[in-house]
Amino acid sequence: MGLLNFTREPVPEAVGADMHNLNQLSAQQFSALTEVLFRFLTEPKEVERFLTQLSDFATMNKISLGPLKNIVKSILLVPNGALKRNLSSEQVRADFIALGLSEEKASYFAEQWKVNSPTLTRLAVGQTLMINQLIDMEWKFGVTAGSSELEKVGSIFLQLKLVIKKGSQLENVYVELTLPQFYSFLHEMERVKTSLESFS
Amino acid sequence: MAALRDGDFAALQILLKAPSKDAVRQLCQEGFSSPPAALGPLAQRAGPGLAVSAEEAEQLVSALHNLTRHVVYRGLTRAEDILCLFPENFHQNLKNLLTKIILENISAWRNEAQASQISLPRLVDMDWRVDIKTSSDSIVRMAVPTCLLQLKIQEDAALCGNNPVVSALTVELSKETLDTMLEGLGRIRDQLSAVANK
Repeated sequence: MGLLNFTREPVPEAVGADMHNLNQLSAQQFSALTEVLFRFLTEPKEVERFLTQLSDFATMNKISLGPLKNIVKSILLVPNGALKRNLSSEQVRADFIALGLSEEKASYFAEQWKVNSPTLTRLAVGQTLMINQLIDMEWKFGVTAGSSELEKVGSIFLQLKLVIKKGSQLENVYVELTLPQFYSFLHEMERVKTSLESFS
Repeated sequence: MAALRDGDFAALQILLKAPSKDAVRQLCQEGFSSPPAALGPLAQRAGPGLAVSAEEAEQLVSALHNLTRHVVYRGLTRAEDILCLFPENFHQNLKNLLTKIILENISAWRNEAQASQISLPRLVDMDWRVDIKTSSDSIVRMAVPTCLLQLKIQEDAALCGNNPVVSALTVELSKETLDTMLEGLGRIRDQLSAVANK
């Protein structure tokens, strides 16, 4: 087997046999299976649903579930590696062919990969580490009418509540700003936005 | 906030023993700025200079505190209003001197009161930096810009006395979060200008 795009490590022995079994499926069956796989890849939290759909597929097509699960495991190696390495659909197709899948099925899978890759990439980026991520911001502003030291005040205050994700917990941070501070903060945030946009 | 009491004006007359007008001025300023707990030590420092007993010094310092704070509380800005506070038989020159000193300091004192009023933790500083994430364990190559925002937050000044606790909070924002935040801040600005223009 030549050099693969999606991985540098040697591929498990069973993969060749699994690809051979896949080739036995009709075009329709392969397309239905591919659909189930991509639905799972784009919504990785729906494990229950994925397993149910796999078992329905197995029953409908008179395939035993155990071997089917092994086949699916082998297939999934490619999209997972491809996602990490930002592979193009040509590279995905070439890899499947190198693993032993028929040209027709490899091309079909690569097409589906092209269609789904923006969603999948966005998901992978979203999983990237974020430190103290800002989840939410609530605010209120008002006027201080009086205090124990000053009978009549009339100054404006702004209060922000920042909800921050620290590890797996949410923490609330309360801050008060004066009016000049608020305008300065707004000005700085607009500068950040310009900076972020120039790098996008 | 302290209210003016009957004995206060009697105690203020002790100032007639002060060595100079500047000494009176100094005492007024310290009397205003000291929180009630610090008045004792202030009295101890002031007593010897005025050649009075410790008890009398305490009464004087307390009276100065009450008078200055009362004027700031009521927001009195005119000499007539301040002069009215003194009783009829109060020493004329001392009354004028005290009024003059108070008027000189009133706006600084007002700012001081406003700066030290209770509040939620205050923002004292903010810094930011923009990073580009180029790689992670989930994607080997990417170019995702992200913003790190550091807010320096000071706890309520009144609780910390002379050692305010400043904590630094570093927060990460994605472009989407920043856009949402700016939307919110923009709305605040619009509402503020609507209020200001009324």
